[in-house]
Amino acid sequence: MSAAVALDLARVRSGYGEALIVREVDLDIRPGEIFVLLGKNGMGKSTLLKTVMGFLPIQAGNVRLFGEDITGHPPHRLARKAISYTPQEQPLFQDLSVEDNLRLGLRDDKYLEEGVKRIGMVFSFIPQRLKQRAGTLSGGEQKMLLVARALMSRPKLMLIDEISEGLQPSVIERLAGVLRSERDSTQVSILLIEQNVKFALSVADRYAVLKLGEIVDRGSVGDQGAEKSITDHLAV
Amino acid sequence: MLILGALALVLVAGGPYVLPTYMVNSLIRAFLYAAAALTVDILWGYTGILTFGQSAFFGIGAYAAGLIFTHIGFSLGYAALALVVGVAGAMIVAAIVGWLSFYQGASPLYASVVSLVLPIVVAQLLYSGGTFTGSSSGLSGFESFDIAIETWFWIAGAFLIILTAGAWIFVRSDAGRVLVAIRENEARCEYLGINVSRVKILLLVVCAAIGAAAGYAFACVQMVVAPEYAGFVFGTELVIWVALGGRGTLIGPVLGTLVIDVSTSYLSGNLPFVWKLIIGLTFVVVIVAIPQGLLPLIKGAVDRLRGRSKIDTAEPAPILQSVAADPFAGLAQAGAHALQIKDVRKHFGSLQVLEGINFTAVRGELLSLVGPNGAGKTTLMRCIADGNERTGGVILVNEHDIQRLPPYDCVAFGVGRKFQTATVFETLTVAESLRIARTRRALPSFRARAATLDVPEAALKVIQATGLDQMLQVEARHLSHGQKQALELAMVLTLEPNVLLLDEPTAGLTKAERMLIGQVLVELAGNHALCILLVEHDLDFVREISSRVIVLHQGRLVLDGTVHEVVESELVRTIYSGAAHAPAGSQA
Repeated sequence: MSAAVALDLARVRSGYGEALIVREVDLDIRPGEIFVLLGKNGMGKSTLLKTVMGFLPIQAGNVRLFGEDITGHPPHRLARKAISYTPQEQPLFQDLSVEDNLRLGLRDDKYLEEGVKRIGMVFSFIPQRLKQRAGTLSGGEQKMLLVARALMSRPKLMLIDEISEGLQPSVIERLAGVLRSERDSTQVSILLIEQNVKFALSVADRYAVLKLGEIVDRGSVGDQGAEKSITDHLAV
Repeated sequence: MLILGALALVLVAGGPYVLPTYMVNSLIRAFLYAAAALTVDILWGYTGILTFGQSAFFGIGAYAAGLIFTHIGFSLGYAALALVVGVAGAMIVAAIVGWLSFYQGASPLYASVVSLVLPIVVAQLLYSGGTFTGSSSGLSGFESFDIAIETWFWIAGAFLIILTAGAWIFVRSDAGRVLVAIRENEARCEYLGINVSRVKILLLVVCAAIGAAAGYAFACVQMVVAPEYAGFVFGTELVIWVALGGRGTLIGPVLGTLVIDVSTSYLSGNLPFVWKLIIGLTFVVVIVAIPQGLLPLIKGAVDRLRGRSKIDTAEPAPILQSVAADPFAGLAQAGAHALQIKDVRKHFGSLQVLEGINFTAVRGELLSLVGPNGAGKTTLMRCIADGNERTGGVILVNEHDIQRLPPYDCVAFGVGRKFQTATVFETLTVAESLRIARTRRALPSFRARAATLDVPEAALKVIQATGLDQMLQVEARHLSHGQKQALELAMVLTLEPNVLLLDEPTAGLTKAERMLIGQVLVELAGNHALCILLVEHDLDFVREISSRVIVLHQGRLVLDGTVHEVVESELVRTIYSGAAHAPAGSQA
């Protein structure tokens, strides 16, 4: 496998105990690409990300990161490979300050000041409230801090689980801009999980729809009828 | 389980005939210790209250017998008196300690510290009691029941079996699940109308009574009592036995106690210090390697050998039954004003989160609360559902002043609150969670699991729309994020509130699921006269279902009007929605 692919999943299977949640998933994300994975609830989207990050044991298949086989690597080893992972639930250190949470996204403190400045252009509240305890931020502000922390580390691959949830519309719009400009300037690859189809289509290059652990639809966002196809798959 | 019970009965019945006397003696003591360990398991393993204090109740029961038999004398009448005094005394102490430990807002650590102090205080009192309590040498040589050792074996054995069986039935019943719900998420329980403090205090009182009864029997058999039996070392040993055996399993702690105590009585003579070391090391190894204890490990191995999976052993799901909701049941008064918010303020230290919020909502209104992230929307919801949250101002729910009342009292006025982040009971199944939500409406059985589950129509619709009806026996921790949100919403609806506070109820759900839930909400407001306060960021959704919209910005109420007025306003576009939400009509 060449390094022309940032993240490559081949026939990945995974689940919790006896329940198989992800079945035979093939997926490739190219360098500098924003890829969105859509699907209804309980279809295996988050499970797939957790499996890639090594939080869940992989039952079959292979995961490659820039050509290197990382199947079954534990999370702390993956974190050193310039992957940032933004899970859906409780990923902030509630008792630490905003600043300390950001610092944890960095390998070296010397990048902090520059990073905060960069983040502040997008989320203006962050530089003003560096000393505030993260747990006292509102739900939406915590989401923004998460994205900020992920961006701080200047990753090569970002895995982001439903970031638009709970954010006000104008912030979602800004977020789409941030992710695209970050991609343009650093060539980062981004795998997004989303329910918000409008946001997903506004930011992504390609998409796939997961249904009962299998990919049932994929294509480019620009394809004719892509939106309708996705919406049909997400209908009850 | 029946087989295990029958086996235990046979062993207890036949034990005295085949076992040596020393063993019989050791086992009697171990049976009574196991009864005390059982109470630790119920408190810690099931309810999550780590307690070192159960020894104190054991000691109170034992000393009630020792003191009365020594200083007054022994007769059947005095024996009965001692039992009553011991048990009642322990219950009174437990009620006081429980009140101290579990007051509103006390942390679990605080309760554990109180439980540690209790046996120290009781033991100190016994030490300083001079000849009355026998100080450090305790009381001995008092008269007691003239019963053969074999008979005591049967009595103690039967006591333990009945107790274990009773506890087994209780923890598996619908009422017993409430304990697990408390362990998993106290806040969610309170917001489902369960007075958690009261449940904990009652539980502690019952456990104290059991501990005291075991202590009483211990004094009657051994005819000796000493402060050590009320001390914190014994209290800690109980915790260790429970942990080794497997907390939250009942059988594990009982077996753990029997095995360790009996082997101790044999081996500590030969290996006085080494034995303590072995027990200590075993404890450390178990905590590190198998934190769930030995019984679950053994049981898992047996199940694997027999080729059984967890799915095979699951009980059948209860049948969901739709009931007609009566959201205004039990309310003394329910005027037209569902919600009155008067000059409500909230600070976090110097940070002003809400300032002078005023508005009124009537029944049948579906009121959306919008505003930028950090505007104070969630804080306002919190203030309505818990009287202790706000810094100032007055809130009336159904024309009842919520004063400084805790969440479960606000629930009694009709409040139902769904949190922003899905808040569910991780180890309870979907069906069990819904039944917990029903506790306030129908007292659950203490003996069995009901075969049916009543849920109001609205909750049923949410359950069906999100596919949860196919997952009734799935534990909440295995649900996806969106399914957890839906489960919490269904739980809150099962409560049959009349003022419904929903903080982003459809976050994590697809558009189609959202719209279904939107219909359910519109129907609740329209047909059942519910007042619904909704925080949502999806303006299309807000536009679709709301009858009125309030805008919060930097802790102030900046706009209050019809959907049209608010969504089209320049202010909302500037502070909140951005360019994507152009006026209606141009909407995709």
